[in-house]
Amino acid sequence: MHLDPRQSAADGAAALTPTEDSGLLARAAEGDTVAFEALVERYTGRVYGLALRMLNSEADAAEVLQETFISAWRNLKSFRGDAQFGSWLSRIAANFSLMRLRHRKVTQAVESSLDEPHFNERGSLIDEVATFGDAEEAALNQELRAAIEQAAARLSDDYREVFVLRDLEGMSYEEISGLVGITVPAVKSRLHRARLTLRAAIDTFYAERQ
Amino acid sequence: MSGTSCKDSIALLLEYLDGNLSDEVRARLATHLGDCTPCEEFLRSYRATPGLCKKALVARVPKSVADKLTSFLKEELKKPV
Ligand SMILES: [Zn+2]
Repeated sequence: MHLDPRQSAADGAAALTPTEDSGLLARAAEGDTVAFEALVERYTGRVYGLALRMLNSEADAAEVLQETFISAWRNLKSFRGDAQFGSWLSRIAANFSLMRLRHRKVTQAVESSLDEPHFNERGSLIDEVATFGDAEEAALNQELRAAIEQAAARLSDDYREVFVLRDLEGMSYEEISGLVGITVPAVKSRLHRARLTLRAAIDTFYAERQ
Repeated sequence: MSGTSCKDSIALLLEYLDGNLSDEVRARLATHLGDCTPCEEFLRSYRATPGLCKKALVARVPKSVADKLTSFLKEELKKPV
């Protein structure tokens, strides 16, 4: 039995050698485009991943990628070394992504209520016996990956954005609260529901192949 | 409240894993988890979910996107800030 909560604190996005960044950052801040391009190369995957998971659209993610790096370039002087460069970029990318989500919400006048996640906590508890305890160790097979991608894509925007920012990006609740414009308890509540939905999807995946 | 129901337990999992529950609530939950196999299994799968998702949702940048970014920045970085 595992009852130690400390073991499982949501782990943040992989830390990328901040010390190696500082030399490039100093040069880029002086207008060195080669140094900046090296930083871009280093962080493209992380920024693109954030935007893709937030927006569910490769085209929009590609736009956010461009917006983020050009904004970073123009505002490099305002970047202070007290945060990691990667975290700073993630915040910029999250802001651009959220802006697009808000815009979509306005333009897509009719939002089907079918997009809302459904759960039945009691039902899933009684009906299912979770069997994926060792899944972390097992290699993620392609079908499970697809099932998770699909479940994440189906989350409503409200849930997906906090899930991406917390569980994929490792941002603090306070940071997410500020970015999304909701209270910390609301962040936690949405995160919990997103996790329940994703957990159920994974559970179903395993149940179906038994 | 003497015990903790399954439903209550599930509602507490996020705060539990964050280590934010009071000692009293935490102890009550731990007791329930010790007695209730389904909840204990549920906790294990709930706990595994973020890490599993993070692995599953790693995105590869399509080459076309990377190329487009490179040429976009080549143009943009020439402009005066
Ligand atoms: Zn129970």
